[in-house]
Amino acid sequence: MRNKRLFILMIGLILFIAMLGFTSGRTGLTWPERFVNDAFGTVQGALYRPVGAVSEFFRDLGRLSDVYKENEELRRTVAQYTQDKIHYNMVENQNKQLMKALEFKERQQKLYNYKYIPAQVVANSSNPYDKTIKINLGAHDGIKPKMAVTSVDGMVGLVSKVSEFTSTVMPITELDPTSSDRISISATVLGREEQTFGIVDYDKENNVLQMTRIDENAEVKEGDLIVTSGLGNVLPMGIIIGTVVSNEVGDFGLTHTAAIKPAAKFDHLTDVFVVIAPDVDAPDVDAP
Amino acid sequence: MTKVRINRTILLTLALLLIQTSVLPWLVPDAWSERLLPNLPFIMSVFVALFGGRHPAFLFGLGFGLLEDLLFYGHLMGSYGYFMALLGYLIGLVSDRRPRTIGFTLLAVGVGSAILDTLIYLVYRLFQYTSDSYGFAVYWHIVPTLLLQVALALALYLPVRRWMLKAASASDENAG
Repeated sequence: MRNKRLFILMIGLILFIAMLGFTSGRTGLTWPERFVNDAFGTVQGALYRPVGAVSEFFRDLGRLSDVYKENEELRRTVAQYTQDKIHYNMVENQNKQLMKALEFKERQQKLYNYKYIPAQVVANSSNPYDKTIKINLGAHDGIKPKMAVTSVDGMVGLVSKVSEFTSTVMPITELDPTSSDRISISATVLGREEQTFGIVDYDKENNVLQMTRIDENAEVKEGDLIVTSGLGNVLPMGIIIGTVVSNEVGDFGLTHTAAIKPAAKFDHLTDVFVVIAPDVDAPDVDAP
Repeated sequence: MTKVRINRTILLTLALLLIQTSVLPWLVPDAWSERLLPNLPFIMSVFVALFGGRHPAFLFGLGFGLLEDLLFYGHLMGSYGYFMALLGYLIGLVSDRRPRTIGFTLLAVGVGSAILDTLIYLVYRLFQYTSDSYGFAVYWHIVPTLLLQVALALALYLPVRRWMLKAASASDENAG
């Protein structure tokens, strides 16, 4: 009896370690996994939103006094936005004409034509080392792994696992540079895109988001807005990541490392956007 | 001697898992969302271990552990499945022929939760997905989660005893 118990324990341990090794760094899901994820996702979606709405309502009641100030601020922002919009339209038209004049290819013209698809969060993970978020869009809606997910405040994370109708999002705070399945985000400073370049990852030891490998001559100040650069074509351009808190000389003294405060909040998320970049390498049907 | 109504228990645990992933995150304040991470299926598997014996608890822990692994899948899969099955079995073994008092139940949930979180920390540490020190992990989430787990087990204790258990009749064969 005791031998049998030990035997089962050993077999279980071997299976367990094999499973850990097999599932680490995998991107696809098998059909039973997708089915369970979707089945749960449907019910989770029905629970998460109503509860969130009620909870937000009570939270808002608590801060009614701030609403006046917030409204004032929003009004100012809208005024600014209208002016910027006019300016933007002008610049966009001019840009299009210049592209035509310089004989840009169709492919190059469509490079920055991003689509923001609204999605809803349906569940949070309660595993302390896999703080994933689940959203209600999946392969059926054209979601693929490694697409960027943003909230209205800034970048939330990257799509990591895709089922048919739901997918799992890994927050940027889980992007560990030392882990085996690392993804680097190339980033730059808003307004000085040509001068600065760095790679954003999360330093788990000190619990800060950081931008590494900044040129020592590049100007990165406290309060600068860090956005994705779009270089490397993994992530789209111009998604807000956060603001610079401090900028210091990095590990080897040759480059600088800046600490970043993430713009997005990762708790109590409801509405997020999946950014779909145009598939420039696919054969173009509309091409003349 | 009692017997667990296993079908009802599974349905209840599925409902609790849905609540855990979609309702509880809203009730936890912003600053505590990384620190209070209740695991309701684990509490239920402790109940099954205490009232139903170690073999049902093993299967129950394995099934719900793997389900949680799948739902939270980010880096690794399998750690919850393996350790919840193991702990379910061990708690069933330790509690064999011991009085099922409420104190013992809470103790089992508390100790079990601490061991489970420690083992899961060790797995993620081994695979280098976390670099927190163990002391920090204990302070940051293991102890707060443990206290919440004990409180939730206390809240679930009476409903579980009332609806999930039935007195085994003499004709029932429950060798445990």
